[in-house]
Amino acid sequence: MVSRPLSLLAELTYRCNLQCPYCYNPLDLSAYRPELDADAWCRVVDEAAALGILQLHLSGGEPTLRPDDLCSIVERARRREIYTNLITQGTFLSDELLDRLVLAGLDHIQLSLQGAHAQLADSFAGAAVHERKLDALVRALQRDVAVTLNCVLHAGNIDGIDDVIALAERFGVKRLELANAQFYGWGLRNRAALLPSREQVDRATASVQGARGRLRGRMEISYVLADYYEVFPKPCMHGWASRFLTVAPDGRVLPCPAAAAIATLTFENVRERGLAEIWQHSAAFNAYRGTGWMAEPCRSCDRKDIDFGGCRCQAYLLTGDAGATDPACSKSPRHDLVGRAAVGSSAAMLPRRP
Amino acid sequence: MNPPALAQGVRFRRSADGQGVLLVPEGVVNLNDSAAAIVELLDGKRTIDAIAAALGERYGMDNAVVRSDVEDLLQRLAEKMWVAEAATAP
Ligand code: SF4
Ligand code: SF4
Repeated sequence: MVSRPLSLLAELTYRCNLQCPYCYNPLDLSAYRPELDADAWCRVVDEAAALGILQLHLSGGEPTLRPDDLCSIVERARRREIYTNLITQGTFLSDELLDRLVLAGLDHIQLSLQGAHAQLADSFAGAAVHERKLDALVRALQRDVAVTLNCVLHAGNIDGIDDVIALAERFGVKRLELANAQFYGWGLRNRAALLPSREQVDRATASVQGARGRLRGRMEISYVLADYYEVFPKPCMHGWASRFLTVAPDGRVLPCPAAAAIATLTFENVRERGLAEIWQHSAAFNAYRGTGWMAEPCRSCDRKDIDFGGCRCQAYLLTGDAGATDPACSKSPRHDLVGRAAVGSSAAMLPRRP
Repeated sequence: MNPPALAQGVRFRRSADGQGVLLVPEGVVNLNDSAAAIVELLDGKRTIDAIAAALGERYGMDNAVVRSDVEDLLQRLAEKMWVAEAATAP
């Protein structure tokens, strides 16, 4: 029996006015058009509700580039009792849009910063937007919606982690997500420049532990590990096609937001087939479902129901075989691929282009 | 002491198969039956005593025992900042 998915990531558009070098969006951004229109998205929401989806994450790209459509989708999801989470970089969060979103029933906003200080943050964003983001943060915090502040950590900003935590404290943020950059899309392209050293990661981890103790009950800090420096891989998506699905801007349905990069799989489109059908029967979804597809060392490993062999996309991107053990695992015969990258270099970052 | 309530950005509901779940910013949290029964009564109006009394009556259990279960759960939820008021002894 195929399990029910819990969460849907709706990528409304890959367009964005910023240029974060760690963006996980694909390099061929223009291949994801035409974008689904609002009616099609509302149909996806209806189908998702019927399939048992409980949470809808609205992302991109920058989803607020489609403000009217965004509000319609939130409203529809709310009507279907689905929890809605807007993932935004905040540069278009006007008072008017915030009010409309809250009225439509938005439950949560995740707003991202590129760092604690304008000069550095703006150098990664590729535009002078830091102050505007802080202004959006203040206005979001004043409204009837939960807010998480997010910052992606990489070699260029991870040493400023204490300042990010202090900023969150100063603004009265109750939830902070500090996420080590993952290497997909533009992030993989820029990996040499983005990957922090082990010492940097260790210091950051210690900062998080200290702050968690100090801020217990006042601020919840979630920390996304740097999998290149872990012994075992992340339990990516809680297993391929087990709980999560993503709908890309053009309607392609993916088991993971990075999965379109896997050229050996073909992904179906909600324009042509229902969401439930795709979830249950699509060859791409069934390819790595469960543990039956695994080869050694995963097959006989006692962690296979814990981390599910790691990330299929990372396995594909690094080894060329989506069915391989994630090279981030220390038991992977190709763990050298991660180690070699981790040696580090100071290559230049290539800003994401639209 | 204020009656406990779910924090902003936290919702309780039952999924299609009747499972009680907490929808939180970080994701979906499955609740066992007794936790779901408690969380379902968090409306910001009922006090901990009232919740314990209601559940004690429903399951024919001693109120003091139920009350300590309720306090334990609220304590854990408060640590994750999923309930707005921590359970404090009267
Ligand atoms: S990571 Fe940066 S560039 Fe990519 S969508 Fe988000 S804000 Fe835009
Ligand atoms: S061998 Fe496979 S299952 Fe075992 S820890 Fe590594 S990735 Fe996980």
